[in-house]
Amino acid sequence: MLSNPTENLAVNGSVSTPPNTNWSPQQQTARMLALCEAQMEAATQDSDMAVDMLIHSFSDLMTLVRELSAESNTNHTDTQTIKFASEEEMKQRYQQLLRQVNNAIMAFQFYDKLSQRLGHVRYSLSTLALFICDRMNSQKPEHWEKLVSTLGRLYRTAEERAIFDSIAGSLAINANGEKPKPLSQGTAPEGSIELF
Amino acid sequence: MPSVILAVDDSASMRQMVRFTLESAGYEVVQAADGIEALDYAKAGSADLVLTDVNMPRMDGITLVRELRNLTNYKGVPILVLTTEAGQDTKMQGKQAGATGWIVKPFNPEQLLATIQRVL
Repeated sequence: MLSNPTENLAVNGSVSTPPNTNWSPQQQTARMLALCEAQMEAATQDSDMAVDMLIHSFSDLMTLVRELSAESNTNHTDTQTIKFASEEEMKQRYQQLLRQVNNAIMAFQFYDKLSQRLGHVRYSLSTLALFICDRMNSQKPEHWEKLVSTLGRLYRTAEERAIFDSIAGSLAINANGEKPKPLSQGTAPEGSIELF
Repeated sequence: MPSVILAVDDSASMRQMVRFTLESAGYEVVQAADGIEALDYAKAGSADLVLTDVNMPRMDGITLVRELRNLTNYKGVPILVLTTEAGQDTKMQGKQAGATGWIVKPFNPEQLLATIQRVL
C-alpha cells in the first residue's frame, strides 16, 4: 500500500522525517567500508576496460604494420596503377593508424585516473580508521555527518560522485535519517570541453 | 616558429600523453610538474598557451591560473584546464580565476587539438 505523502508533514508545513532507528556506529562503519569497496571495484573495472582497449589498439596497429610491410615487399609490374591505388590506400591506412593511436592515448590515461581514485580510497580508509578509534567521536551521529561530508569532497570525478551518491543513500548519518546532498548533480561528463 | 605550450600536470604519464599529442601536431611543449614549477617558467619565459591540471602538490591549477593572470605577459594567453574534476563549483572557480576553458579527462587527442587551434 502506498503511504500518504502528507503524513510526514508537520504543522508548519515542513517535512518531518522519522527518527532513524537503524543508526549505529557499526552500521555506519560497514557502509563506509562498502563505499570504499565500491569505489575500488569501479576503478578496477574502468581500468580493465582501458587495458582491453589498449590491447585492441595495439593488436590493430600490429596488423596494419604487417599489412604495410607485406605490401612493400610485393613485386609490382604496373608501377603507375599501383602508385595511384597505393596513395588512396595509404591515406586509409594512415587514418586507421591515427584512430588506433588516439584510442590508445585515451586508454593510457586510465593509469592517472586509477592512481587518483585509489588515493582517495586510501585516504578514506585511513581517516575512517582514525575516526572509529576515537570512541567519543564515533558514537555521535553529527560527527559521522561531518566525516561523510569531508570524505565526500574527496570524490571529484563523475563516476566517484555517482557511486558516493548511490551508497550515501544508505548513509543516513544523522538522527533524523536525513541523507547527504547528492554530489553528482551538475557534474560534467568525461571528455567534455567547455570554453568560457 | 611553432607555438609553445606549457603543459602542467603532476602525473608523469599524463604529461607524456599530452606531450606526445601536442608534439605530433607540431607544437613545442614545455612541461611542469606543479603550479610552482609552471609559474617559475612563466616568469622567465613565454608560452602561447597553458594547459594545466587542477589537483597538484605545492600549487594547484586554480591558483596557478590566478597567478598567471597577474603576470603582464600572460593576461591574454589562453589557459585551458585539463582535469578529472567534474564538479560545477570547481569549474566556476577556474572560470573566475581567469581560465579560458575546461576539459574533463580523459582527453580525446583530436578534440584537444581542435580546441587548442580554436583558442590560439
